[in-house]
Parts: sequence; C-alpha cells; structure tokens
Amino acid sequence: MTQTISKQIFRAYDIRGLYNKDISPDVFYKIGLAAGTYVQQIMKGKQMVMGSDIRQSSAPLAYAFIAGVTATGTDVCHAGTTSFGQTLFSGGRMHADLVAFITASHLPPEWNGIKFYHGDGVGFPEDRLMAIRDLVLSDSFKTVDWDKIGQVHSIETRAEYKAFFTSHFTFKEKIKVALDCGGASMTLSAPEIFTALGLITVPIFCSTDPTFSHRPSDPKPKNLAVLVDAVKKNKCDFGVAFDGDGDRAVIVDNTGQILSADHTGIILGKYGLKKKKGTIIVNVECSKVVKEQLEPLGFTVKQIPVGHTFLTLEAKLEHAPLGIESSGHLILPEYFLFDDALVIPLKIAEILEAEKKPLHDLVMTIPMYPTKKEEIDCPDEIKFDVVSQLKQQLVKEFEQVNIMDGVRVDLAEGWVLIRASNTSPIIRLTAEADNETILHDLVTKFLTRTHEIIAQTKKTTG
Amino acid sequence: MTRLFGTNGIRGVVNKDMNSELAMGIGKAWGTLLKQTIIHPKCAIGTDARLSNHMLKSAITAGLLSTGCDVCDTGMLPTPTLQYTVKEKQFDAGVIITASHNPPQFNGIKGVASDGTELSKDVEEAIEKIYFSQHFSLAEWGCVGAFSTWDGAIDLYIKGILSTIDTTGIKKQRFHVVLDCGNGVGSLVAPLLLKKLGCTVTELNCTPDGTFPGRHSEPIPENLTELMENVPEANASFGVGQDGDADRAIFVDERGKYIWGDKSLSLVGKYITRDLKGGLTVTPVTTSTCFEDVISKNAGSVVYTKVGSPIVARVMMERHAVFGGEENGGLIFPGFQYCRDAGMSLAKILEILAKEKKPLSELIAEIPSYEMVKTKIVCPNEKKQLVMNQVAEQMQHNKDLSRIDRTDGVKLYLKDGWVLMRPSGTEPIFRVYVEAKEKTRAEQLTIFYKNLVNSLIQHA
Repeated sequence: MTQTISKQIFRAYDIRGLYNKDISPDVFYKIGLAAGTYVQQIMKGKQMVMGSDIRQSSAPLAYAFIAGVTATGTDVCHAGTTSFGQTLFSGGRMHADLVAFITASHLPPEWNGIKFYHGDGVGFPEDRLMAIRDLVLSDSFKTVDWDKIGQVHSIETRAEYKAFFTSHFTFKEKIKVALDCGGASMTLSAPEIFTALGLITVPIFCSTDPTFSHRPSDPKPKNLAVLVDAVKKNKCDFGVAFDGDGDRAVIVDNTGQILSADHTGIILGKYGLKKKKGTIIVNVECSKVVKEQLEPLGFTVKQIPVGHTFLTLEAKLEHAPLGIESSGHLILPEYFLFDDALVIPLKIAEILEAEKKPLHDLVMTIPMYPTKKEEIDCPDEIKFDVVSQLKQQLVKEFEQVNIMDGVRVDLAEGWVLIRASNTSPIIRLTAEADNETILHDLVTKFLTRTHEIIAQTKKTTG
Repeated sequence: MTRLFGTNGIRGVVNKDMNSELAMGIGKAWGTLLKQTIIHPKCAIGTDARLSNHMLKSAITAGLLSTGCDVCDTGMLPTPTLQYTVKEKQFDAGVIITASHNPPQFNGIKGVASDGTELSKDVEEAIEKIYFSQHFSLAEWGCVGAFSTWDGAIDLYIKGILSTIDTTGIKKQRFHVVLDCGNGVGSLVAPLLLKKLGCTVTELNCTPDGTFPGRHSEPIPENLTELMENVPEANASFGVGQDGDADRAIFVDERGKYIWGDKSLSLVGKYITRDLKGGLTVTPVTTSTCFEDVISKNAGSVVYTKVGSPIVARVMMERHAVFGGEENGGLIFPGFQYCRDAGMSLAKILEILAKEKKPLSELIAEIPSYEMVKTKIVCPNEKKQLVMNQVAEQMQHNKDLSRIDRTDGVKLYLKDGWVLMRPSGTEPIFRVYVEAKEKTRAEQLTIFYKNLVNSLIQHA
C-alpha cells in the first residue's frame, strides 16, 4: 500500500474525497486502523457502530474500514446501508464508543467520506478527528493478536427505529406531505415511516438512486423545483427535501415557499416546544430574527461557532430543547441529540395539527431581513491571519463584537460576520440588516476593509 | 517468485503473516484476474468459525468489490458447502476463509473456481503475479461491485447430499452415530444431516468456536480419544470426527477403534467400483497399496498424482474418475462435486453400512492391511532438487526395484512394499514414507533410506 494519503481529506467535521483519487479502500483500511486504535488507546473503549449511505462506493469503503477496525481488536456492530439517522440511532441503542457513518453528505456521487459521532449523538470534535488524522498519516496503529481480533455483528434496527417514531408521533388529521428524498439514503427510512404514521405522502425521487440522476443531493433552493411544483399541484400541507445522508431537511410551505433553516428553526421553537424555556443554541451565522422571535417567549438564545459538532455538544451541555445551524442542521434533543433530519418534518406536521393553521400563515408571522453572503478569495496561508487582524481592529472600534468564530459585529440595525473557510482558500462574509440600503452599506464597508487587510498582508509576507 | 499459495490455499498466523492488508490485496488481484474474462463477476464468500474471520472476510470483500466484482456473503459454513454453492448457484468464483485443521492462531484463504473445485495452480500463480505487480484494475465509483448476503447455502448442500444417496435404506437402520465436529463448522451441517437420515446423534464439540476448546482441529488419533471412548460407551454404530472446515472425515468403528484414512478411502472405493463393475479412481502417491488392491479386485484402475487435493480433483475431472481422495480422510465424490467433502463421506459410509448390514469393524477387516512408517529429515530448500535427482540416479541400477516413479518426489516400488521420498512444499524438510506388509520390514527400509537421503544432503 504505497498510496500517500492527502492531509486535505481530513476536514473540520468529517473526512471527504473523490473515490479512487483522494480516498480508496486502502485509505479507508488505514482510517479503520486509526479509528480502532483511537477507540482502544484513547477512549479505552471496545465497540463501534457503523453504517453507510447508498453511494455506490460505500460498500468497498465500508468493508475495508471494518478490516482495519477489527485488526485493532475493536468490535463492529454493522448496521449496513441505512439513512444517517438509523445508524446513529443504533449507536445510541448499542451504547457505542464511536459511531461511524460512510457518506459524503450532499456532495456529488463520485465523492465519499466518513463522519464520526459519539454513541450519545454528540458529533466528533475537530481535535479528535485530527488525532485520528495524525494516526493515519504517521501509520501509528496498534493491532492485536489472533484471539483479540474484533468481531463483526450485523445489527438490524430498521423495525426498532421505525417503532421509535410511531411511539413518539401520532397524527389524527390527514396531513399531506410531499416527500423528496432525492434518491439518496432517506429513501431507506422516510417513506416507510411517513406511511406508518399515517401521513399522506406524495413521493418524489423516493427510490434509491446512487447516481443522484434526478436532482443533486444538495437540497439547495435551485434543486427543489420538482418538490415546489408537487406541493402546489397536490395541495400539500407542506413539503420536505433531504440531503444525501439525511442530516439536513429543507421545508417547503403550502404555497411552495422554501423556508430557510432559521425560519424552520423559529417555527419549531415558537410552536413545537412545550416548555417555553431553556437555552436555544444557534450558530453565529444565524439570522437576528431567531433571537428577536424566541427570546420574548422565555428562551435564551446562545451563539456558538459554525459546525454541527459544536451544535450537538452545546445542546448536550445546556440541555437545550432546540439547536439551529444556518447550514440546515436542526436538532430537537427531546428525540435525538444528533441531527437526524427525519424528526424535522414530523415535528412540523405535529405543529400543523396542533395549530390548525396552514404553514404559510405561521411563516408570515416571522419577519424576514435581507441577508447577503460574499466569498472573498484569500490564500490559505494568510486567511486566518487576515481574520485575526480584523478581529484586533474591530474589537477596538465597535461595542458588540463576538470573536468565538471569526469576527461578528452586531449593530442596532444589522450585523456582519467575517470568517475564514475551514476548507477552501476563501474568507466568507455574511451580513444581515433591517433593509437593503443598510445591508448594502454594511457589506461594502466590511468588504473594502477585508480587501485592504488582504493586500497589506500579502505585501508584508511577500 | 515468492509463493503465497501452499498446498491448500494461503495460510498464516493472524495479524502476523495473514492480515487484512494481504487479504485485501488478494481480493484485488483475484478480482482483476476475474475481470479479464468476465464482465461482471459474481463471487460467493464464506468462513469457518475462526475469530479472525470477519476481519479477513471484510478485507477480501473490499478488494473484490473495488475491482467491480459482486460479493455474496454466505456466512459461516463448511468448505465443501461453499464449493457446492458456487457450482449450483453459478457463481464465477468462491472464497473461503479457513485454515482447515491448523491451530487457532492461523487463518487462511482458499479459492474456489466456478465449477466448485479448488483453484488450479495456474490460476493461483496468475493471482500471485498480479498481487506482486500491484497492477490492479480498480473500478470507478459507479462500477464497483455490489454486496449481498444469502443464508441458504447449508440447506442447499444438505438437500444435495440427500438427493444422491439411498436415504430410505439408511433411515430404516436407525443408526446411532457419535459425532465430533471439533468445534468446527461441520457443527452447522453434520448434526442436521444425521437427523434427516433418521440417526440418533451423540454430539461432541458440536458448537462452532474459533478457540477450538474441545480438541485440536486435526482429526488424528491423539485428538479423537474422546470420540473413541464415547462410541462403545454409547453403544453406537460408529463415530465420526471432522476437521475445522469439514472437508475431511475420519471414522471410528463400533468398538472405538480409529480407522486410518487409507482404510475408509479403500472401503468407499471398494463399494463404488463394485457397484459400477470397475472404473477409474485417483489418489496421491502417498496412499497405501490397500486402495489399489481393492480397486483392482473390482476391475477398477488407480491413477496416482502429486500430493494435494486440488490436483486429485483436477485429474478426476480430466479422466472422468468414479472416485478419488486422500489418505487423510479427504474423500471426493465426482457424482456430487469435485472436492473433499466430509458431509458426503459421512452419508456414503451410512449408505454402505445400511446396504451391507455388517458392523464397520468387519467391513474394515476385509480391506488388506499394510504397515506404514512416516518420518522426516531436515534439508535446506535449495538442496532439495539436487538430492532428489541423486536419489533417482543411484536407484536406477538397483535390481530390487520394480519401478521408479517421479510423480511427486521419488517413489521406489520394491517387491514387498514401496518407499517415497518427497521434499515438503512449505518446510525445509524431506518426508520419507515407507510401506511394507510387515512392520519390521518397514522399519528396516526406513532406516536404510533415511540414512541414504541424509548422506546425500550432507554431500550436496
């Protein structure tokens, strides 16, 4: 095995790469050796639960990974090909030391990867993932003798997973939902569970299609035209689209309007949480409308850095009833700490039944502020330096500055967030304001500022 | 070139010389080879009961899938059960993860061709060549193989056996059999098979367990003492012991006496050739003359081959043999499949007993007896060929010899017995086998030829 493994496949929250280029069974064998070694040596554990999404390259990668994990003496409970949620659910049931899911989330079909969670549903933090990376890159594995080799147990949790939902949700009304699985992993769970719960389902791309030939597996607005049409044509109460693995759900209201994650989160918080108190976790990119809408109801809104590992961890520490990631990861810890997107449409259906109002009416109660996202090209070598210089300057100039993840400046009429991308040579600028004029001024002002610092830094570093 | 495959597949100590990396590489190499002739190859994979099975199965599965071969996991099963499945279910290849009778720290990979036989040497060498070149043809993401599971193999195999034998005759006799599977995968087949044949079964070590807690896996006399004691105690018709992957069966008569593999091979060969009024049989050069005696008496003939069951099976296919096998309890029934088969051996012995209505000890007593002495001499690998040639040369002018045979090593046919000197394929030793009518003669010949080989090694 002479293939050199690129450091780039190890990203902040997961491992990703192009099959046969950046990742291969050989690479996954080593990742398996490293993950198994990590479980044994660092976590002092002995058991891992794993599953894989429906991607074609998942099978060779999964078995290579198992071959590595078992060589270190770590047992594997193999959930097989499932949605993300079912494998994570199995991890919780088995009290796994580590849960591994083979997926490249919403990326095109030629990609694959792996993400790790703790058995309780908390995502694997970056430092732990980097510890696994270092084991892989330095070939530091600890294999065991023949009598301690890890065993593989096939686990079938499909029925138990379904039973979890049928025992937590009951619908008396006939609720009609357009369900867009995009041919991806949710095809294995969502249609069956929707039907079992008595939801009237209009299925869209609900048969497994590993090439994602109907729509890209990223549920971006531009990929949801078929769903929007179906909601309108079939007079659905709402529609839902999932991403490739099923950790993000995008909701479409009864008029065909696509909701942002913030808006979906606000509806969940406003109408879905029985006890109107506690801390709701949002990341620094979330709209200010979240705070405006939810704090008056008795919740405290706590900002955290971007990344769903922080989301799950903070939610656990704060006993939060809700977590909102602007990228679309939403968690309702009364069900799961991890971001199984299947609970989102079910909770929406529950809210609609209780409120007896169309979803669009609920959406209309929430103001919408204009937002803008900009990507500024900046070399990897200086991007973090540029952002830290900005921090130093802005902290002195403005009253309300949050520096937990990049730098966020909060003003009375809006806010700006500037952070370096973890994965690409860019700096991201996100802004939101009360109206378009203020937004334009804000964006221009901070874009210029960032460009100036990039130019200066380039000069000084030569 | 370094060899990976030995006489019976690739073997090694787990996580030392037999690890995931090797298994995955073999999967890739074999998949690459299969893809050269088949567009979309389908492989069946199975394992014995060893602790490292899942690891190695996963590794070889990953390798095969990555080249674009589909893999069907048939679970834990005897080697002949997988071989039968490959043939009957039209798989293009089969893989069995087993180290047969080796100690528990070993494991191995055995390859099966599309006709259910073990891989030929040519195919093994082709796999090795690709493995060492590391030139694998890896499939793109959209063309990798698909994985599936199937749990019907054991059922298919038992049904297959039952369809080839006289089940009514056997059932009538209500045999009592003491069965010692040695915690191998035979446990998943033999108890069920015997019950379907109306037998009462006393089970010893019939739970699959990769630590082999009951006894050592190889069915040699010192490992079958419990079985030998239990048969007369239970008043059973006979006893049977299997190895770890259930391709070999050794029998114990109703008095608890161990029956050497030569004798059971001869017994089955005798009745098959008697019923067919002749026929060609195949066995390696190491088999006792008693086999040829009984076959000749029934107007049959014997073809001798090199040691190794895949070779015996291949020659049987080419020559349309009616029966064949090895002296270690590995019997091959061409009407059923071309591989060693403990399940089929057991069924056949039951059929013979039901037909003859005589105790097993009596039937064995009717087979001629010879005395065999087996020894080994240490010899460096590089001297083996030279020493062999010198032995043959020196013997050419020996008037006592009726014939020199070079099929495998050097076999000298004397008036009152034979001597076989053959280099081991895996260890730096010579094996010396001597057979004669009288024990003293066999011992005398052993001393003489051992000395001869020893002196040739010293001077080589």
